[in-house]
Amino acid sequence: MALSTHTTPSGFLLPSIHSAPPFFTEQPNQTTHAHLTEQWTRLILTYARHKRLFVLRVEDAEAPGSDWDEILRNERINRRILPSYLSSLMAAMVAKNIAVYEPAKQTRAVLLYWRLPEEWADVLHSWATATGQLNTILTFYEISDPPIPSPLSGIPIPLLRRAITILSRSNRAQIIGVADGEGVRFFVG
Amino acid sequence: MHRGVGLAAFDKEQVSQRFAELSSELSKTQVDHLQSQLTQFRTALSHFATTHRDSIRSDPAFRHAFQQMCSSIGVDPLAGPRKGGWWAEMLGMGDWQYELGVQIVDVCVSTRERNGGVIEMGELVRMVSKLRGVESGVVTEEDVIRSIKTLQPLGAGYEVLDVGGGKKMVRSVVKELDADQAVILAEAQVEGGWIVEAILENRRGWTGQRTRAALENMLLRDGLCWLDSQDEHYGRAYWVPSAMRWDE
Repeated sequence: MALSTHTTPSGFLLPSIHSAPPFFTEQPNQTTHAHLTEQWTRLILTYARHKRLFVLRVEDAEAPGSDWDEILRNERINRRILPSYLSSLMAAMVAKNIAVYEPAKQTRAVLLYWRLPEEWADVLHSWATATGQLNTILTFYEISDPPIPSPLSGIPIPLLRRAITILSRSNRAQIIGVADGEGVRFFVG
Repeated sequence: MHRGVGLAAFDKEQVSQRFAELSSELSKTQVDHLQSQLTQFRTALSHFATTHRDSIRSDPAFRHAFQQMCSSIGVDPLAGPRKGGWWAEMLGMGDWQYELGVQIVDVCVSTRERNGGVIEMGELVRMVSKLRGVESGVVTEEDVIRSIKTLQPLGAGYEVLDVGGGKKMVRSVVKELDADQAVILAEAQVEGGWIVEAILENRRGWTGQRTRAALENMLLRDGLCWLDSQDEHYGRAYWVPSAMRWDE
């Protein structure tokens, strides 16, 4: 059996390691474990970017039908990642600061940083500038669900808030309370 | 000692003396002849090597033929008065060989995390070729083996292992593979990259304890195997990355 790459129905190119059965088992040898954890982490982040997924949950490994099936399962070799393994991968990603537990104080769901909050801050500011929305008040909802699709479409509010906080530190944004929740005003950087 | 008297005795002595002279004369001619042949051969070989240097360097088939010719007449191109031996002296192949050695180290080290320091020869040749940006067939298994020989003085423990069935593996860690592990590598090759306890017990007649000990050592201590705990038939399968075929 040769291990080869595979293109999923969603157009994602799976690495050849994804067709190796032991990839789906948590490894007892520390070096091997570290190596495979790195492979998994990279796979999760690139897939998240590909499908614009922001949240990964332990439940995603529990039953088929999740957004993550294409990478968490491999029907061709009849393997799937077990929830306990996924949970330990999530912990490793949090430790490396490429994900955070969201909400805090639980370990069943993470917010993935396929872009770091600092990078999201830049994307956000460039978008506001390019669409001529500096100095006007925008609600969080108008940013995460804009009428015209943007690089920020679908961004979870906690991540958006982090990005705005970073911008406000350099006086490029200000959080403002509005009638139906929170809003933000951007300034020229 | 009783000596004969008379003419007969005199004759006998003279004859044997003459035989001795003849014999030494003959051997001297032979040695001279051999020496001149050797000089001639050396000249011819170096002439051949010089005129065909380019072909030897660029054409793997030619290089192989030359190597075979050398070994059939008992000349080891790696041995010689100078460092790098004949290859360096006659062919200017020294640099090429060392360069290849560096690339072999590169591949072995960069895949070590994945395979625990044991790589299949075919895979190594493929990856070295990729690194050099040359088509397959330009660098041969023989070249790799020769380069690994040149790495020996470094004491890094690079070694070519014959695991049977015409398969070779290159070990790049200073770690002794015991006989059982070599058998496991060979069997995993046969199965296409994996092995289970039952196969080893049936095919090799090993006891369960021996099998488990060897496999668990490879898995836990040496990192030469990956565990698959979802195997449909056996439950627990051991995958040997150096025996797995990676299409990358």
